[in-house]
Amino acid sequence: MARRRRNQQPDAEMDMTPMIDVVFQLIIFFVTTADLQAKALDTSVRMAMAPNGPVEEVKDPRTVTVDVDKDGRISIMRTPLTENQLLGALVNARNTSGQSTPVVIRGDVTTSHADIKRVMDLCGRAGLWKLRFAALKEKAS
Amino acid sequence: MARQRKRPEPGEAELSMTPMIDVVFQLLIYFVVTNKPVDVITNLDVFRPAPDRSAPKDTPPPNLVRLGVYKDGYTVNEVAATLPVLDQALARLAALDASQTIMITVSSFSEHGQLIKALDLCAKNGLTSLSIVSAAN
Repeated sequence: MARRRRNQQPDAEMDMTPMIDVVFQLIIFFVTTADLQAKALDTSVRMAMAPNGPVEEVKDPRTVTVDVDKDGRISIMRTPLTENQLLGALVNARNTSGQSTPVVIRGDVTTSHADIKRVMDLCGRAGLWKLRFAALKEKAS
Repeated sequence: MARQRKRPEPGEAELSMTPMIDVVFQLLIYFVVTNKPVDVITNLDVFRPAPDRSAPKDTPPPNLVRLGVYKDGYTVNEVAATLPVLDQALARLAALDASQTIMITVSSFSEHGQLIKALDLCAKNGLTSLSIVSAAN
């Protein structure tokens, strides 16, 4: 911010208030939106540990994350779904973003495989073949 | 904020930085205190073969490695194995050919955590071509 001044003119102070206002607006925006991502995940699902799993650098924005809790209840973004609703959502995802849309299954460590299989079968019926299982690489201390 | 000043003029109001620094410190303390460490999440890719009705139900080709996940343990090519044994077997297989397909048969009664452990060992040994088949028993 270089400022040129002419010698004999009265000095006009720069008003910092609008800049600080904008900076605060930005901070509030980032704080509130950063929290939304974490809130979308179902906290009742305790994922299994996979310390050797690969870390994803760039997340595919098309990713559909399906939560399966320990009793086999299916939900997306904390919204409980029946099998038919999930199938509808997956077909919708296939139609809008293509067959290679990744589906991440977040299963609880104690979920029976039969419940995971139901979700995998629905993905197959919807025509989505890119399946991945979410696991914890590192637990926050 | 480079501000060049040749000579100070009398009566000029200086911009006081103190309140701004105060506020910035407040914000810094707030973020440090409220910051929660986040779990690092990994995604284990699998391939799920579509059921091919036309294909004859014969035995899989002999070079396919078959991994079984059951409620009470694991099997490698139908031989019971514990997790360390499974790890060793997968390391040997990966040393031969890391691109070979591992067919993982998962029992419906097994827990999801067991499958994740098996997939983790595959990822550890660099085996990426994983095929998941669910068994009814």
